[in-house]
Amino acid sequence: MNKTLNRRDFIKTTSATTIGVVTVASGITLTTFASTNKVPVTNEKRWGMLIDTNKLTEADIDGMVSACQKEQGWGSELHSTGSQKPGWIKKVKVKDKATGKVSNLALMCQHCEEPPCVDVCPTNASMKREDGIVLVDKHLCIGCRYCMMACPYDARSFVHETLSNQKEHMPRGKGTVESCTMCVHKVDKGEVPACVTSVNSDAVIFGDLYDASSKINQTLKTVQSAQIRADLNLNTGVRYSGI
Amino acid sequence: MNRLLVIFLTLLVSSVFAHTNEHASLGEQASSIKASGKVFHESVSIIRKMHPEFLRHKRDKTLRQGVRTDEYSLKGCVSCHANKDKTNNQYHSVDKKGQFCSDCHEQVSVSLDCFSCHRTTPKEDSL
Ligand code: SF4
Ligand code: SF4
Repeated sequence: MNKTLNRRDFIKTTSATTIGVVTVASGITLTTFASTNKVPVTNEKRWGMLIDTNKLTEADIDGMVSACQKEQGWGSELHSTGSQKPGWIKKVKVKDKATGKVSNLALMCQHCEEPPCVDVCPTNASMKREDGIVLVDKHLCIGCRYCMMACPYDARSFVHETLSNQKEHMPRGKGTVESCTMCVHKVDKGEVPACVTSVNSDAVIFGDLYDASSKINQTLKTVQSAQIRADLNLNTGVRYSGI
Repeated sequence: MNRLLVIFLTLLVSSVFAHTNEHASLGEQASSIKASGKVFHESVSIIRKMHPEFLRHKRDKTLRQGVRTDEYSLKGCVSCHANKDKTNNQYHSVDKKGQFCSDCHEQVSVSLDCFSCHRTTPKEDSL
């Protein structure tokens, strides 16, 4: 047998060994930790949110912003100037020019079904999960910020400074883009996003848009609701009523 | 060329071995697992050689498919291989000089990028 290992053999042998280890190791680690969520997400669900601006008070929105900061660990950047600071969720006032009615919106990534941020990303870092949640893969993000320019909702931020002490579930770092993750780390465990839990009323409803028995699905069937900039045909996962 | 590659890899791996065999900062939990005789990584040589591939595979599955198992999770590596400062009871960052991750990476001159985004100590304590 030829003793030198070519690249292909090397990969073949190592991957064979790897499979062996995975099997043994899974038995071992299972006794150490309890594992969760072994099954990949599918497109049988689509996560969404319905925000009722008539019920949502300004204090509620402030609460949502701080709940998000606390959960995800953004907002205490020391060296970034005002416009450089991250903002995953914002309080936005909109005024109907004809009637003068002012509404306060909580505006975060709208988790578009046809996300422009994903379309323009040159490295595939901007991505949509099967269940509709739009994320940034920071392993691939080169910080070009095309996605920030493409997003009609100004939902994304760029990290301008070196960070430390990040949340364990939310890696963040200088030179990458970030935005609302719909608290995917919680959703994957069957929990509800932090901003939604922070609101005491039912002004914000979170759930599976496809599930006919979900509260969000049933509410959307009965109340008037809108997508912001519906004319763009992005089919957003976050919807609003009362505007 | 291939022969050279094999020689290079052998040198690389054996220098890691030579170094880590005398490694003092394995990490508290990792040390106690080792001392108890239990096996965590079935083969130390494979985890040494393959850990970047395991982590890369795991990161893609977690981020893109929502598969959140503990196996090969960077969180798990950090929580097991971190050391506490005996005087103030605070964790040392695993990427700081003399700590588990950086020691080995420094020895083999491989840069350690994970921790420009990932947390370097176990869970949230002082936030
Ligand atoms: S709101 Fe912006 S960042 Fe979010 S999915 Fe749509 S285009 Fe992308
Ligand atoms: S879903 Fe999570 S990440 Fe998104 S705005 Fe709410 S708290 Fe922030």
